[in-house]
Amino acid sequence: MIDYAEMNQLLFEGQHEALKRMTEEALAAGRPPTEVLEEGLIAGMAVVGEDFKHNRIYVPEVLLAARAMKAGMAVLQPLLTSRPGGAGSAGVIVMGTVKGDLHDIGKNLVGMMAEGSGFTVVDLGTDTSAEQYIEAVRRHDARILGMSALLTTTMIYMRTVVQAMKAAGLEHVKICVGGAPVSADYARQIGADGYAADAASAVELFRRLIAERPAAAEAGPA
Amino acid sequence: MRPSMRVLHPSLRDRVIDESMDVLARLGVQVEDPGARQRLEAIGLRADPTTHRIQIPRTLVEQALVTAPSSVTLHDREGRPAAVVGGDEVHFVPASSALRVLDRHTQQVRDPNSADFVEYVKLGHGLPNLSYLSTAFIPKDVPQDIADAWRLYLVAAHSTRPIVSGAFTAWGVPRMGQIMAMFRSGRDDLAARPMALFTVCPNTPLRWGEDPIANLMDCAEWGIPVEIVPVLLLGMISPATTVGALVLHTAEVLSGLTIAQLVRPGTPIVFGGAPASFHMQLMSNPMTAVEALQLYCAYAEVAKHLGLPSQAYMALSDSKFNDPQAGMETGVGAFLAALAGINSVSGPGMLDYVNCFSLEKLVFDDEVVAHARRFIRPVEVREDLPAGPLLEELIRDKHLLMSDHTLAHWPEELYLPGPMVDRTNWDQWEGQGSRTWRDRALDQIDEILGRYEEAPLPDALHAEIRGLISRTGLEPGAALPMLGGVR
Repeated sequence: MIDYAEMNQLLFEGQHEALKRMTEEALAAGRPPTEVLEEGLIAGMAVVGEDFKHNRIYVPEVLLAARAMKAGMAVLQPLLTSRPGGAGSAGVIVMGTVKGDLHDIGKNLVGMMAEGSGFTVVDLGTDTSAEQYIEAVRRHDARILGMSALLTTTMIYMRTVVQAMKAAGLEHVKICVGGAPVSADYARQIGADGYAADAASAVELFRRLIAERPAAAEAGPA
Repeated sequence: MRPSMRVLHPSLRDRVIDESMDVLARLGVQVEDPGARQRLEAIGLRADPTTHRIQIPRTLVEQALVTAPSSVTLHDREGRPAAVVGGDEVHFVPASSALRVLDRHTQQVRDPNSADFVEYVKLGHGLPNLSYLSTAFIPKDVPQDIADAWRLYLVAAHSTRPIVSGAFTAWGVPRMGQIMAMFRSGRDDLAARPMALFTVCPNTPLRWGEDPIANLMDCAEWGIPVEIVPVLLLGMISPATTVGALVLHTAEVLSGLTIAQLVRPGTPIVFGGAPASFHMQLMSNPMTAVEALQLYCAYAEVAKHLGLPSQAYMALSDSKFNDPQAGMETGVGAFLAALAGINSVSGPGMLDYVNCFSLEKLVFDDEVVAHARRFIRPVEVREDLPAGPLLEELIRDKHLLMSDHTLAHWPEELYLPGPMVDRTNWDQWEGQGSRTWRDRALDQIDEILGRYEEAPLPDALHAEIRGLISRTGLEPGAALPMLGGVR
C-alpha cells in the first residue's frame, strides 16, 4: 500500500531522492501513473504553494520541493506520454533572456518554480534571438513563450519577438514577459499575453493562460 | 565583535571625566529646597548657607562609582528577570512622557485619556522588539497629582513587562514604591527584583529642584533603579560645544549618582540624558539635532568607561507627524544609539519634542528597532571561511538558493521585515491593494490589539492599588475611571 501522505511530505521536505524512490515503488506496486502524479506529487505541491503564499515557507523550500517534484516527474513522464508536454505535464514553456541581455537570475527562478509546478521548461539561456525562440517553440510544441530582460535597452527586443512570432504564424502560443524594467502596461503595449511581477505569480499566470485556451496542436491543425 | 562607534578620543574622554569631577568639587550643585538640604546634610553633604550650593569632593564621587552597579536587571510584574540594562545590551522602550496623542483615526492631536493609555499598553505589550514599556503619556481624565501612580498601575494591570516611569511630585515616589511592592513580598524584595526604572531629571545647569532631588533620594531609599536624565539645551543652558556640554552633562549625572550612593550604596544608577539643541532662530529644542546626537553618543562613551549602564532619548522624532522627517530622525537615532551601545533607548512612538505620542509610530518604530538591533549583531564566520567551496558551488549551480549553507543560515542572516516595511515591487503592491504605510500600521494595531490576552491581576490587588491611589490624591466623592480588565 502506497502512502501518498508520506510522498506529499517527502515532496514538501524537498527529499528528491526518497521521493523518486517512492514514485518508482508506487508504480512497481501497480498504481496507475496518473494516480501517483495526482495524489503523490500534485497534492503535495499544492500544500507547498499554499504555505508559500501564507509566508509559512520561503523560496529555498519551494525550490527544494520543486526539485523533488521534478525527480518524481522524471519517473512518471515516460509512462504518461511519449512526448514532453503531453499528459502529465502542465505544458511546455520555452523561455530565455532576450537578445543582448545576459541576466538570467529571475528567469532561472521562474523556470525552477514552473518545473516544480509540473511544467516542462525548455530554457534557452541568455542572449536569445527571435529565430531561436521560434525554432524552439516549434520543435517542442510549446504552449507558452517566456521572455525576460533586465535592461531598458534590451527589453525593447521583446516587441521584435512578439512580431516575429505573429509573422511565423504562432499567435496561438501565449507570450509572457517579465524582468525588472518590464510592467503589465509594457506587456500590453507590445502585444504580449501576460506579465508577472515575480516567480510565484509567473507560475500562476502560466496556469491561467494554459487553462484559457488549448494549444493549437490539441485544438486542431494550426 | 559587535559593530560599534566611537566619537571621543580616549584621552579627551578621560579629560572630560576629570573636568566634571573638578566642576563638582569647585562649583558643586545647587539645592534650593530646605527639606532636601536637610536630608542631604544627614548623609554628609552640607550646602553653603548663602548660595545653597553643595560641593562634592572627588573622593566621594570616586567612592560612589565603586558602589554603583555596572548593570541592573529589570524584572517583570511576576518577578522574573526580563532585561539586563548594562554591558553590551541595547534595549528600546517607548519614550515618555507626552502630553498629547496623535489620534490614529482622525489624525488630530488631542489630550489623551486613560482608555488611550490602556490601548497603548496593550499594543506595546504585543510589540516584539520593545524590551519593556514606559508610562508613555499622561492621561488627562484623572487629577494630575495622581497621574504618575495611575499610569504605573495601568501598565502593571495590562502588561507583565518591566516599566520605565517616574513621579510627578516631590512625594510621588513612595506611593509608587508601595504599589510596586504589592507585586513583591515587600520593599526588600522590590529592591532585589525591581520592576521599574525611574526617570529623574536634574535642573540644568547643576541644580537639583525640589521634585527631582526628593525623587532621587526616595528612589535610593526604596532601592528603585534611577536613570538620571539631564536635559541640556546646547547654546542656552549649556555650552554650545560638545566637549563643554559633555562636562556639564557628566557632572550632573555624577552629582545624582553620588547622592544616591550616599543614601543607599548599591542603588542602580543609569547614566541617562535627553540633551537637545537650542534653535537660535525658532528657540525650539530639537533632541534630534545632529549636534545633540553627537553629545548622546559621547556621553554613552563616558558612561561605559565609568562602568555604568546608559540611557538616552533617541529613536524618536521632533516632527509633528509621521512624515519623512520622523522616519529620518527615528531611524538615524536608533542606529546611532545601537552603535553607541546605549543600554536603554527611550524613543519609539514619540513625536513633536516629546510632546505627542503616536500608536502608528510605535508600530513603525518597532520595526526600526528590529533593524537597528540586527545591524549591531556581531559579524561572525558562519561556515563561510574558507569561502572557496561555497563559491565553487555557486559557480557550478549558478545560484545558492538550495545550498545547504543557505538553508542553514538564511533565516538568521536575511532579516524579513514585517508589514511596516514595504518590500513588494510596484505590481505586487498594486495587487495587494496599494496600501500606504498608514493603512498597514492601522491593520497592525488592530491585529495586535485583537490578539491581546489579559494576564489578569487578582481583584483584591486591583482594589488595594486603586484604594491607595484614591486615598492619596482624589477629592472626597471622586472616583477613578473604570476600564476594561480593571474591576
